[in-house]
Amino acid sequence: MQGTSLTVFAWRNLWRNRRRTLLTLASISFGVFLAVLMTGITDRHYSDMIDLAAKVGSGHVTIQHPEYLDTPTMSRSVNGMEALAATAAANPQVVTSAPRILGPAMIATANDSFGGMLIAIDPEHESADTLSILDAVEGGEMFTSADDKGIILGAKLADNLGAQIGDRVVYTLTDRGGEMTSGVARLRARVATGSPSIDGSLSMLAIGALREALGYGPDEATQLAIFIDDQRRSGEVARGLRSQLPEGATALAWHELQRELSAFIAMDTGGATFMQVVLAILISAGIFNTLFVSVMERLREFGILLAIGFSPSRLFRLVILESFWLGVAGLVMSVAVTAGPYLYLVTNGLDTSGLLGGEMDIAGVGMPTHLKVGLFPASALLIATAAMAATLLAGLYPAWRAGRVEPVESIRMV
Amino acid sequence: MSESNGTIVSMRDVKKVYEQGSIEVHALRGIDLTIQKGEFTAICGPSGSGKTTTLNLIGALDAPTSGDITIEGESLLGKSRKQLSQLRRDRIGFVFQAYNLMPVLTAYENAEIVLAVQGVPYEERHGKVMKLLADVGLEGMEDRKPMELSGGQQQRVAVARAIASNPAIVLADEPTANVDSETADRLLDMMETLNREAGITFLFSTHDSRVMDRARRVVRIVDGAVESDETKA
Repeated sequence: MQGTSLTVFAWRNLWRNRRRTLLTLASISFGVFLAVLMTGITDRHYSDMIDLAAKVGSGHVTIQHPEYLDTPTMSRSVNGMEALAATAAANPQVVTSAPRILGPAMIATANDSFGGMLIAIDPEHESADTLSILDAVEGGEMFTSADDKGIILGAKLADNLGAQIGDRVVYTLTDRGGEMTSGVARLRARVATGSPSIDGSLSMLAIGALREALGYGPDEATQLAIFIDDQRRSGEVARGLRSQLPEGATALAWHELQRELSAFIAMDTGGATFMQVVLAILISAGIFNTLFVSVMERLREFGILLAIGFSPSRLFRLVILESFWLGVAGLVMSVAVTAGPYLYLVTNGLDTSGLLGGEMDIAGVGMPTHLKVGLFPASALLIATAAMAATLLAGLYPAWRAGRVEPVESIRMV
Repeated sequence: MSESNGTIVSMRDVKKVYEQGSIEVHALRGIDLTIQKGEFTAICGPSGSGKTTTLNLIGALDAPTSGDITIEGESLLGKSRKQLSQLRRDRIGFVFQAYNLMPVLTAYENAEIVLAVQGVPYEERHGKVMKLLADVGLEGMEDRKPMELSGGQQQRVAVARAIASNPAIVLADEPTANVDSETADRLLDMMETLNREAGITFLFSTHDSRVMDRARRVVRIVDGAVESDETKA
């Protein structure tokens, strides 16, 4: 037999009207379930998109010339790539880095010519983990060295140019002095990512060949793409690197480079947050109703408790504890209700290709057609905290009302 | 805790006026009453005479319109809600007509609750409550919820709850009204024993002639004033 503590008293009070309490718990669970799914989709989806965006071109963090962002010309290059890579590698968040030269170029064959984006890479520093399009290389071979003289084109661009593997392709771009410069390469392979914007405009060279064409030094590039293990820390890593870089180089996080994608994510996340706030208010109203009715049904009892020595503040605490237990029980039920569907969606996801009407991309980044969920621990904590806070807030007025009971009016000793 | 002269309750020219719309109802018209330690007193009178109002005022559940009330020499005037709740907790025990036990608590927990609120250590209050429940004849029923007890048993728990904190006075409002006569007699036997052996002061509000017969002092209130005050030999 345990002593009568306020917490035990509150817990038992919660179950006086079992059906009402269960209905309230069900509404909390439903709210948490929706919040977990919405946030889980957002967390996973955008994390995947950001990682993919990083792998498509510029990494999670990019070291480049301070003016390159606004004026992406070949004159805005950075020297000392190896030293910069070593500086980046000193940060424990950094997984790897790769030097690249990026710029607009005109690609031509005997048949036709098209403008597009040219990326020059060092095959020794790149893999599908740093440049996802390397996974989509088909119909030929990857570069064998940094000085490889081949070119790889997006599949659609190659088709538009009528270029076959082994055909001569001329690339033309402006050099560091603003003069037109050209190079010739044999089509080594094609890239078929499924993204219309990439497949229709991308061309790739080995970095040594382009350095030679542009008159760059052996350690010079337009950017060092840096990859970290958690994209959410991109800003922090960029800020940390900025203070260590020499003049003529800056570090930018992905969201500073890919503003369109960043704006889309912010807008979409903002909408989802708004929906969750609306949901939280609706559920709080239900919790409030439960607690308020429960208090109004027990005014006489509160009068008795005041008569035998409970203080108004103790009654307030009693009802707040009932709210607390409601929140705790609601979270436990939420875990039970949410765990199964969540685990299913973590592994299998939801096929949304029908909804999206096939492949699509945002800011050049392909949208996954299978929506999987993956809740960040911080998001899970936020949802749990918000559910508890909503429950406790909903209990404030009923608790205050309980503390204001006039014993003589509620007891009626006659 | 106790006043040197043994006075537990003192009411001096206490008036209580209720306002019902524009009408003033004079529930008490200047009551003077003193209760000494160890008394076993009944307040009786017809319905609406003011006996319940008197108990409410002594129990610090309501405030008088004028006059003064002291409990063990301490005036109730000007006290905050918190101070009044502390006074009720430490010095007054209540036994209600409808038992008014907490339905979610066991007999033991109902009897223990005031001690828990007072912050009495668990070991101390456990022993005390177990003895109290045995004293009121509820040994072996400690774990039963109120709905598992008869009316008489519930009222015994209520008495145990009322006396658990050694209050200066127990105010009992029609304690026998909801029980059969045999149970009423047993309850009164028990309270008489507690009064006689433990020196607990009881003040009843009642219509029940059995309570009046057992009381050693009977105060009759009519129309908000004391009509008679008889102490039996």
